[in-house]
Amino acid sequence: MSVGRFVVRRLALSLLVLAGLSVLIFLIARVVPGDPARLALGPRAPEWAVDNLRKEMNLDKPLEVQYYLWIKGLFRGDLGKSLLTRRPVLDDIKEFLPATCEIVLLSALVMALGGITLGLLSASYPNSWFDNVTRVVAYLGIVTPSFVWAVVFVLIFGYLWPILPAIGRLEMGVEAPPVLTGFLLLDSLIFGKYEAFWDALRHLILPSVALALGGMAQAARITRSSLMENMSKDYALAQVAYGIPWRVILLKYLLKPSLIPTVSIMALDIAALFANAFLVELVFNYPGISGYGIRAMLNKDINAITGVIMILGVIFTGINIIVDLIVAYLDPRVRLLGGNQRA
Amino acid sequence: MTGRVGIRVLVFLTLVALLATGVAGCRKPEPKPQAPAEIKPEDRILRMDEDWPTYIDPAVGNDFSDSIALVNLYDTLVFPNLDGSVRAHLATSWDVSPDGLKYSFHLRPGVKFHNGQEVTAEDVEFSMKRLLTIGEGFAYLFKNVSDVKAPDKYAVEFTLKEPFGPFIKALVRFYVLNKKEVLDHLKKPGQYGDMGDYGKEWLLTHDAGSGPYKVKEMKMEEYLLAEKFNEWWGGWDKDAPVYFKEFASPDPVTIRTLMARRETELTDEFQPEENLAALEKIEGVQTAGFFNGNNLNIMLHTKKPPTDDIHFRRALAYCLDYETVVTKIWPSCKQARGPVPHNLPGHNPNVYQFKRDLDKAREELKKSKYYGQLDKYPVTLSWCAEVPLEEKLALLFQANAAELGIKVEVTKKPFGAMIADAQSPETTPNASIVYVAPHYPEAGSILTSRYHSSTCGSWEQCEWLQNKDVDAAIEQALRTTDEQKRFEVYQKIQEMIVELCPTIWVLDQFEKRAYQAAYVYWPAGEAGKAGKSILPVMGYGVYAHDYRVYPEKKMELLKASK
Repeated sequence: MSVGRFVVRRLALSLLVLAGLSVLIFLIARVVPGDPARLALGPRAPEWAVDNLRKEMNLDKPLEVQYYLWIKGLFRGDLGKSLLTRRPVLDDIKEFLPATCEIVLLSALVMALGGITLGLLSASYPNSWFDNVTRVVAYLGIVTPSFVWAVVFVLIFGYLWPILPAIGRLEMGVEAPPVLTGFLLLDSLIFGKYEAFWDALRHLILPSVALALGGMAQAARITRSSLMENMSKDYALAQVAYGIPWRVILLKYLLKPSLIPTVSIMALDIAALFANAFLVELVFNYPGISGYGIRAMLNKDINAITGVIMILGVIFTGINIIVDLIVAYLDPRVRLLGGNQRA
Repeated sequence: MTGRVGIRVLVFLTLVALLATGVAGCRKPEPKPQAPAEIKPEDRILRMDEDWPTYIDPAVGNDFSDSIALVNLYDTLVFPNLDGSVRAHLATSWDVSPDGLKYSFHLRPGVKFHNGQEVTAEDVEFSMKRLLTIGEGFAYLFKNVSDVKAPDKYAVEFTLKEPFGPFIKALVRFYVLNKKEVLDHLKKPGQYGDMGDYGKEWLLTHDAGSGPYKVKEMKMEEYLLAEKFNEWWGGWDKDAPVYFKEFASPDPVTIRTLMARRETELTDEFQPEENLAALEKIEGVQTAGFFNGNNLNIMLHTKKPPTDDIHFRRALAYCLDYETVVTKIWPSCKQARGPVPHNLPGHNPNVYQFKRDLDKAREELKKSKYYGQLDKYPVTLSWCAEVPLEEKLALLFQANAAELGIKVEVTKKPFGAMIADAQSPETTPNASIVYVAPHYPEAGSILTSRYHSSTCGSWEQCEWLQNKDVDAAIEQALRTTDEQKRFEVYQKIQEMIVELCPTIWVLDQFEKRAYQAAYVYWPAGEAGKAGKSILPVMGYGVYAHDYRVYPEKKMELLKASK
């Protein structure tokens, strides 16, 4: 199967998944008890004001009409108005998504480099002191929720040894760059605001590492066991017999196939970070999409809930397609068989 | 081959990025100014955390965090004193017609809005009409206003549909906007016809006020940064904060870190006692507080079994261990006496106060129609997830009720979910633990919001009392313009309500915050420490103009900690 057909097939499946998600989240957001218009305007707002808001949000219409209008808006890029921030949901997403993307991308980098390197070293020196220490650290990383790491980091690097900022995206007094992409790091570089770049980067370190640790530990364990499994295969033994240096066998012939499970799982972990970052965002007072989504859910901000979930759905399916492509690159069998058989 | 080169380039780039990250992270922290000579205007700042989001549009905002922002950005006709009375502010004087239906205000000439234009009666008229048209925020306090006119540049007249005794006190919630500036920022089309969106979108992140501070930056989900308005008519002390920042409350550990780093000056009022104790150990940090006119209630649903039975409710009221509540859980607070907090004008100090008495509780329970079948009627109770201390009260209540054989099912709920539950009698639980605050400094505010039938369905009345006699008495009180007579009616209403026992009045809240006492002067906190009886209206306890900040003392602390 060609890569083109492979991608088209994946995209078509993803569209189906997103269509299903849209129906599901639309209904869930509306069946939760409580009148969103009343909640937004407060208990003492007159009934006419609440009615007006209901009309504005189409809540006075039958459910299927509401869904049709919502989908119609979605294709126009209109996700409705947030009841919480009282502005278009799309504006909120444009503001908060890049902030979370920055954390997640840095986390992904830490997760991938740290996890694979640790796994590789552990497999290279199995049952050594290094492997044992890595194992304990990895288990600790897996079982400890990221918000606990966040609190620990705030205590260590914000309080006991204050070398990094504890909250926000930028220090007061540091001139922010004009908003072009919404990514502070990128915008700072584009507009030559290097002080803002360093400051934004410093603000990203603690939340990113706190988020990355769990996934990194998991990646290290999976990489190690996958490598160990491949090391005992016949082709590896044959290469040893041919006298190929072990370093070359490990890095050139064993690592690539061993990364398939790591990449698959890590990618899902990375996608999940978008939704799971809210407690870390809370601890660091970081204005991201995850915290925004949770606040929307707690306040029954239906447009924001559906908007955020759809965006996260798109990200999740997008990352899945990328993972499939990476796996196809790593394992030609997947490419050739169209993903139907992963021997 | 190309793919391999690509991977190598990627690996190289990621290593560079990681290295850069490490360098950025591990480099030495920015040197902080250490000598008074280096003090910059931004060092004279007052920062505090509060619940979020904050609405700074006067026709939208009405909660604690909104009120703090609004009182700093906007001026009102009258200003509340710490004892609950009011004084002239934008208005220099006022007259009330004998029938209590017409209020005429004389405005202070020469007051400037933040954009330099003068505040006139036309702006006041516009602000009231805008508030009533939008109908949100504090509009409900002024629903009695039938007309507002500006007969001349500095005179404004309000006409009421019927007398409203606390009208002048309610005006501490009426913020004056710059008409021209709002009209310049209308978004059309909008839901208000010719007025488009009435400037609502623009006012989400900007102000059109004349208050002591003006918006410098407003990040919807993050913070409000306001800057001193140098031309403010009331004048300035040289040590008043140049900047005022209100930001979303992070985790308590983060608050502790920020206080230790001198990156925030004042905490929110809901910090757990353990955190306050830890904060007090930081050099220069102290806690202070005052009774703020709020109270904490266990609201009992009077229309749902088994709390629909008055004897059952009384049994619950008699079984709670109030002593433990005010000595162990909230040590600075005081047991409430009736529905109105003790320091709110109009409180009845002689109203009956329930005490823990298990014999009386059992006696009442025996009179209840549910006696003998308690297993079939568990009491559902919700407490607010955003206030962790409430869990202790919920568990104590559960344990106390168990002594009578009553089963209490405790549920932790986000406040949003509690608000949703309160919207109908079917979804409201038997018992809800809720803090309530007055909206203007008088008993009538609490009595209306808590027990008048018009507020059923709101989180402020989970009791669903719906008692015609109580309604009539509240309406009569509010129509009474003579303050003394009005207060007499308030006192009778309190007796009526206590007799019905729709609520377990747990405590009057002592609003306690930690602050940087070494370099910040906090007027309400100092008055509280001196034992003075004060009643700051919601939001006015953080009137930044009256604070003092001494950055040179902060520098000394920072220097000492290095």
